[in-house]
Amino acid sequence: MREIVYVLGGGQTRFGELWESSLLGLIREAVDQATLNTGILPTDIDAVVIGNMLGGEAAEQAHLGTLVSGLLPHHPPALRVEAACASGGLAIHTACAFLESGKAETVLVIGAEKLTDIPGDNVTGALMHAADAEKDAPSGLTFAGVFALTALSYMHTYAITRDDLSLVSFSSHRAAVSNPFAQFRREIPVETISKSPLIADPLRLLDCSPISDGAAAVILSTRRESPVRIAASQLASESLSLIDRPGITSFGSTRTAMSHALAEAGWDRNSIDCIELHDCFSVATLIHLEDLGYCEEGEAIRLFKQHDTESSGSLPVNVSGGLKACGHPIGATGVKQILDCYKQLTKQAPNQVKGATRALAHNLGGVGATCTIHLLEV
Amino acid sequence: MDRIPALHRRLKELERMNFQRGKILSFTTIRHPPAGFGPEPYIVALIEHLDGSKSLAQLTREGIPPAIGAEVIPHLRRIRTMRSGLHINDLKYEVIETQGAPLFTMHAYVLALTGPSGVGKTTITRSLLSLFHPLVEQVPLVATRRPRKTDLEPFVHVSEDEFEAMVARGEIIAHTVFTDRHEYRAGYRREDIEAVWKQTRLPIVTTDIRLLEGLSKALGRETILSCGLLPPGTSRRRMLSALLHRLRSRGQNTEEQIELQLRSAEADMKAFSTKSDLFDHLFVNDRLETCVESIKELVVPQN
Repeated sequence: MREIVYVLGGGQTRFGELWESSLLGLIREAVDQATLNTGILPTDIDAVVIGNMLGGEAAEQAHLGTLVSGLLPHHPPALRVEAACASGGLAIHTACAFLESGKAETVLVIGAEKLTDIPGDNVTGALMHAADAEKDAPSGLTFAGVFALTALSYMHTYAITRDDLSLVSFSSHRAAVSNPFAQFRREIPVETISKSPLIADPLRLLDCSPISDGAAAVILSTRRESPVRIAASQLASESLSLIDRPGITSFGSTRTAMSHALAEAGWDRNSIDCIELHDCFSVATLIHLEDLGYCEEGEAIRLFKQHDTESSGSLPVNVSGGLKACGHPIGATGVKQILDCYKQLTKQAPNQVKGATRALAHNLGGVGATCTIHLLEV
Repeated sequence: MDRIPALHRRLKELERMNFQRGKILSFTTIRHPPAGFGPEPYIVALIEHLDGSKSLAQLTREGIPPAIGAEVIPHLRRIRTMRSGLHINDLKYEVIETQGAPLFTMHAYVLALTGPSGVGKTTITRSLLSLFHPLVEQVPLVATRRPRKTDLEPFVHVSEDEFEAMVARGEIIAHTVFTDRHEYRAGYRREDIEAVWKQTRLPIVTTDIRLLEGLSKALGRETILSCGLLPPGTSRRRMLSALLHRLRSRGQNTEEQIELQLRSAEADMKAFSTKSDLFDHLFVNDRLETCVESIKELVVPQN
């Protein structure tokens, strides 16, 4: 980082099917919580960045930057960024660029999505916009279908069983029980997950993160100090369509972003105390842990079997509940991950990792076509 | 939204395309098709073509079931209907039979036959082995007893210590204690099952409840096509009496051993109802041919 960027804190709405709230209502609630929790004056905010994917399709609202700017008394400059499910991480990355360049000293970063205003199959169709419209969509593939192709190939290559996949979702749901902002705060047994309805073989309903509404906001600053700093902010891409990649059981964007982030921070990956990972589908979690370099290809399930990924384990993963159990309001996820890391590092997390001083947030867009990685420390 | 100009561009592209064969890298069944693609689930596959390029396309409904590595040939078929009523054609691929292509749908699975001793597991297995030769193969049982002349199944003898070590190393993925004649430990090794898969054959195992539980845990419940075999009879009492008759007529065991076997048979039969989730199908073995025929239908689904 060219400047020391402090995370002052933030706030979020509960994630879920929030029929009563509009997109703007969700954003307002998250911004109010963020200003309240950080004690910052709204007029101290120099710029606003909002991450959102489907404002136009699902909420019939584009032009979100200015919409959000209007919530603040002084109408600061504002912009919306989009990278499908990585829109939130991209918003944080964009804000860091503003701060590092000196364009702004305090930036309000928001991630927000309102999906449940339109029927589920329309949401399914719109989510497919994250893939390649000319190469992937004409076959009638859905977004879950794209990950299902990855899942079958991964299970076939590494002899992963149905119950192995279920173990991943099981651990997210168990972690979310104590998280008041999570969409599903209930343990779900492995057997129930293994028997849930098929969505796109081999992926079942409880392999998939849900369709959710929600918003999260954090405030980053180079002027105001805080114990929590951003040690690295990286963004990486790879071919949008699966057909342009050499293999489908690993995502190059994660590998690139991770190696650049570790180099930027000067860290060893084993010094990281907790990870918020983009577990949009159960199989993705396994692939990510391998791409982040925590185990060999095909080996990640071992970490779950050995309980390493629990909050008391050697590599706590998604102790917030992750996308699977917290919900996945697309653009909000990447910002919420930073907020969860902030809570861990300031000992405010409901499922606290003891003595956590370094955290990693991994946000993914499409089938690993975009990846942002943020490293935070106290 | 129906973007007609985009479809027009796609059709132009199809005209320029060189229709190529290919093989399946991965596939999925879309259970909830997007608007325009009809209400019925369909299969989309990631296909690698002869020139190394890849594409994503639907599979046709004719042809054999897909498998990773299976060969496909292209057709131009209707793929969707626009809201205006316009039918759209696009490439769909048919899975064709090729030499060495995997025979079985999805990933490899194991056929497990479970039932009390004397119910006819061995006879049915032998019948399946001869019917489907060379597509099926029996997985050798690893056990701590000495081989016998009467052994009909492939069998690997190991010492108690070796057996324990193999369990500890995770090589033996399911094990139990058998009590015919005297007590001994027996189990199945992962490598034996995988060796059968590697030859693209279907492994058959005969199991008791503990072996079945072990296999289902180690390989995944979905990997196992699990058939429970019941002796003929309309009540549990009559079934046990039928078993008793069969065990006695074998003339291999003493009365005491038979009593022990009957007791474990009773427990096995109870498990059919208490652990019903471990079974896909239950068959009554009153006539060998009908039982074999029913299992054959499961293994090779008739279209």
